[in-house]
Amino acid sequence: MNKHKIMVIDDEKIVGDMAKLSLETDGFAVETFLNGEAALARLKEQPFAVVVTDYKMKGIDGMEVLRTVKKQHPGTKVIMITAFANLDAAIEALRGDVHDFFPKPVKINELKASIRRALEK
Amino acid sequence: MKNAAEWFTTIVRHLGIRPRRRVSPEALFLQFRDVLNSTNRSLEIITDIGDTLNGDYLFDVQYLRRSYGDLSASLERSLASFEKLTSGRYPRLRTVHRSIDENIRRAIDGASPQRRDLVVFAGDLDDSSANTVGGKARNIAELGNRLGLPVPAAFIITTQAGGAYLRHNRIQERAGLTGEAGDGMPYEEMQELILQGDMPAELGRAIERGLRRLRKSCDSDCYLAIRSSAGEEDGDLSFAGQFETVLNVPADISAVGKAYRKVLASLFAPGPVAYQRRFGYGTADMPMAVICMIMVDAAASGVVYSRDPQGAKDSIVINAAWGLGTSVVEGGADADYFRVSRGDPARILEQHIGAKASLAVRASGGGTATLPVPVHARTRPSLSPEQVAGIAGLAMQIEQHFRRPQDIEWAIDGSGKVLVLQARPLRMPESLLQRPARPAPEVPEVPIARRQGLSVHQGTATGRVFILRNPADLARVSRGDILVARHDASQFVRVMADVAAIITDTGALTSHMASLCREFRLPTAVNTGDMTRTLVHGQQVTVQIDEQAVTVYPGVVDHLLDRGGAGSRLMEDLAEYRKKRYLLRYIAPLNLVDPLRDDFTPKACRTLHDILRFIHEKSVAELVDRTGEGWQSRRAVKLDLPIPAGIVLIDIGDGLENAGSREQVTAEQVASVPLRAVIRGMVHPGVWRSEAVPLRANDFMTSMLRASDIVTDGAPRASASVAVVSRDYVNLSLKFGYHFIILDCFCSEVARNNHIYFRFAGGATDITKRSRRLQFIAGVLQEQGFSSKLKGDMIIARLANIGREEMEARLDVLGRLISFTRQLDAMLHDDGAVERHKNNFLNGAYGLPFLRGKQMPRKDP
Repeated sequence: MNKHKIMVIDDEKIVGDMAKLSLETDGFAVETFLNGEAALARLKEQPFAVVVTDYKMKGIDGMEVLRTVKKQHPGTKVIMITAFANLDAAIEALRGDVHDFFPKPVKINELKASIRRALEK
Repeated sequence: MKNAAEWFTTIVRHLGIRPRRRVSPEALFLQFRDVLNSTNRSLEIITDIGDTLNGDYLFDVQYLRRSYGDLSASLERSLASFEKLTSGRYPRLRTVHRSIDENIRRAIDGASPQRRDLVVFAGDLDDSSANTVGGKARNIAELGNRLGLPVPAAFIITTQAGGAYLRHNRIQERAGLTGEAGDGMPYEEMQELILQGDMPAELGRAIERGLRRLRKSCDSDCYLAIRSSAGEEDGDLSFAGQFETVLNVPADISAVGKAYRKVLASLFAPGPVAYQRRFGYGTADMPMAVICMIMVDAAASGVVYSRDPQGAKDSIVINAAWGLGTSVVEGGADADYFRVSRGDPARILEQHIGAKASLAVRASGGGTATLPVPVHARTRPSLSPEQVAGIAGLAMQIEQHFRRPQDIEWAIDGSGKVLVLQARPLRMPESLLQRPARPAPEVPEVPIARRQGLSVHQGTATGRVFILRNPADLARVSRGDILVARHDASQFVRVMADVAAIITDTGALTSHMASLCREFRLPTAVNTGDMTRTLVHGQQVTVQIDEQAVTVYPGVVDHLLDRGGAGSRLMEDLAEYRKKRYLLRYIAPLNLVDPLRDDFTPKACRTLHDILRFIHEKSVAELVDRTGEGWQSRRAVKLDLPIPAGIVLIDIGDGLENAGSREQVTAEQVASVPLRAVIRGMVHPGVWRSEAVPLRANDFMTSMLRASDIVTDGAPRASASVAVVSRDYVNLSLKFGYHFIILDCFCSEVARNNHIYFRFAGGATDITKRSRRLQFIAGVLQEQGFSSKLKGDMIIARLANIGREEMEARLDVLGRLISFTRQLDAMLHDDGAVERHKNNFLNGAYGLPFLRGKQMPRKDP
C-alpha cells in the first residue's frame, strides 16, 4: 500500500523533526522543509496529499505556500500552524481554503486527526 | 561620640541585617495572600510548559520564549511580594534565581555558556560552569558537591578548551572538511591531526595550574585517570564505552597533554560517530570535555546497577573484581556477581564468585599491567558483605538523586573506602520500566471506576493496588504497584521510580507531587474522590489515564497497555527535542522536598520550582512568627468556651460574626473556618480534664526550676492565649501552664493554598516525660499525614496542600490533641505508655486511669 505523502514546512527544525517522527510512526511518508522556497521547489517535482505549513516564515510565508499549492495541486489539503495566532490570520487562511488552522503548541494527536480528516475528503 | 544604640545601628547596617518592620496582622496577611497568588500562577505556568514539552505537542522557540516570559513575570511578582513580607531577609534567593534564569534563557536560545574557563575543578563547579564540563563530569561533581559522596578529586578540561584546541590546530580546515557530518567525513585523518596537534599555550598553562592544585590532594606520587565527558554523555544518553579512557597517567603536562589528545580524538572514532548520528547529532556538534581525576589505587573495583536489567524484582546487581575495574567494565574478567535486595540494609540474595585468574593493576611509571591473582584469592569474594551493602546503599542514593536507574563505577582503595568514579543512566528494557510481566487473563472491560478525578500525567499501567493508609507503609510498596492514597504528598517521590501509577482521593494539578509525577512521567490522577474505598488492597487492576481523568478496569486489559507515554519516549531520539526539553531541568524538578530539613535554604534551590517552594514555606513561617506582633494594641475579645482555655480573639477579617462591640463572644460567633474546627476538637467530650494531675516529686522540682526558662525562652505572647483570625485563617498561640503551642493554619477552598503548622514546646515534668509526650504527639500526627521534626523539647509539624474538608478533620484532631495532652506528660511513666495512649487516642478512648469519670461534659460549639 502506498503511504500518504505529507509535507511539513517550518523554519524551526524542532517542529519538522517532531512532526516527521510522530507522523511516520503512524505510517505516513513525511518530508520536512525549513523554508517556503525549498518546499515549493519540491512541490513542482512531487505532489503531496497534505501540506502542513507554518504561517509566518521569512521569504515565502504560509499564505503564499497555500496559494501556490492550491494553484498547482488543487486536491492537496493545507493545514496552517502558527505561533502568532490571531483572528485576522485565521480568517485570511480560511478564505484561502485552508483545511485547518492550529495555534502552536499543536497537540500532535489533533494534527494527526486533522490529517486523517483531510485524507478522507 | 556614638552612644550604644547608634553603634548597634551601625553594626546592624554594616552586617546587612534588615530589621523587620512591624506591620499589622491584616497587612501581613494580605502580603501572604499576594505571595500565594503569584506562586500559584507560576506553578500553573510550569505545569503548562511541562505538559507541552512532554512529547505530545509540536512547539517552537516562540512558544518557549512567550511561556518563559510569563513565568518570569509571575516569579518576579512572587519574589517581590516575598521580599516585602520577609523584609528582604533572603537576599541569596535573588542571586540563585539570577543564575537559574540565565541557564534557562541560554537553553531556550541555544546560546553558548558565558563562562570561558578552560579548566574547572569538580569541587568548584556551579551552575554557571556546569554547561561546559559535559554530562559525566557534571554528574560526578554533583555526587561530590551536593550529595557529599566520596569521589576522587578531579579537574575538568572544559568544552571551551576542546573547541579552542580544534580551532588552534585548524582541524576541520586541514581535514578538508566543508560540508555537514556524514559518511564521507575524513574521520581517521581528523583523529590523526588531533593526536599530533599543538597544545595552545593558554590551555597548556591552565592544565599546569590544574595539575599543581591536584597534586596537593595526592598522598605520594600523583597519577590520574583521564576520561571523556562529552556534551550529553551520562545525561540522557549514556555513550557507555564509546570514548577513550586513559588510566594511570603521571600528573605532568606532557603525559596529561598526550592523554587529553587521545580522549579528544576519540570523538571522531567510528563507533562514537555512529552513536551520535543515531541520536540526531552531527559529529561536529558534540562538544567534548575531559576529566582528569586522581587515580585510585584500587584493591577491588567494579560496576553496580541500581536495578537489575534482567528484571529481577527489587534487586541491585554488583560486579566486582580484584584491582582496577577495567576488566569488569570491559566484560573480560570472570568477575564476582552479587544480586542484592533494595532494602535497608541491603541483603545479598544471590552470589556467584568468579575464578578471577588475573587482575589489572597500576604499572610503575604509568599505564596498567595484568598480573595473575594468587591462587588462594581467586575464588575468594572480592567484597565483604558489608562492602556489598555499602555499595548497594550508594547505588540507591544515587538513583534517588538522579531519579532514574543508574550504572555506577566504583573502586575500593587500600584503606577499604568505597569511592564513586562515575554514574550514568542505566537504560532499562522499556518493558521493565513500564510494567511488570504478570500473565493474567483478559477481563471484560467493565470499569470499576469511570472517568474520575484530574489527570496529572497520561498513561496506562497495570499492577496490584497498594492502598496507603499510613505514610510509614510507603516502605512496603513494591515495584509495579498502583499506589492509591487519600492525599497527594511529595514524600511519594521515594517510590516514584518503582510504582506503575499513582491515584489519590484528594489533591491538585499544581501540587508538588503532581510536578514530581510529571517529571517521572508516571501515570497519575488526583482528586478522584474515594478511590481508597472503591479499590481493594492487593487487587489487580488496569489504570487508564487520559487527558482529563482516570478509568480503572479490573484485571489486566492488555490492549490498553501499549499506548500511554509513547510520545515522549519517541521524541527522546531527537537531539533538538532533548536540547529544548533540557531547560525543564532548571524549571520543574523539586529538590527541596522537606522544609523541616536543615538544608532547606536558598542555596539549595536548583530550579524555579525549588524557589517557589522555598518562598511558600518561608512565607508560612513568617506568618507563624509575626502574626501576633503588636496585637496588644488591638481590640481583643474574650472567647467564651465550656472549657477554661482562656483564649482572646483578634479579628483581622470576617473571623467573627455579630461580635459588635462585645467584649466576649461565644464559639457560635466564631466564623473562622479553621478555628471553629480546632474548637470542635478541643471541647470534644472527654478530651479536656479540669483537675490537676498529681505530680511526682521530681516533676514538681522540674516545674519550679523551669519557671525561669518559660519567661525567657522567647516564645511569643507568653502571657496569654491569643487567636488572630480571619474567615479562612487562624494563628493560635496557646499557653497552658508550662507548655506552649502555636498553630497556624490557612484553610480555603483551594487545596494548594492550605497549610497547617503546629509547634508544641515545654512542659512541667522532667525531660524524659516531656520527650514521651512529644513522641506521643509525633505518633498521632504521623498517622494524620503530618511530617514532623523533634528539636530538643519541641516538636514542629506541618501539613499542606489538602482540601478544606480534610483540613477541618485534621484541625479537629489537633484540637483534641491540644486538650488531651495538657497534662499527659505526668502520666507517661514508661516508654510503653506512649504507644498505649496513642492507640487509645486514635481509637477515641480519651480516659486516663486516675481520671475515669471526671472529664468535662459534652458541649459542642
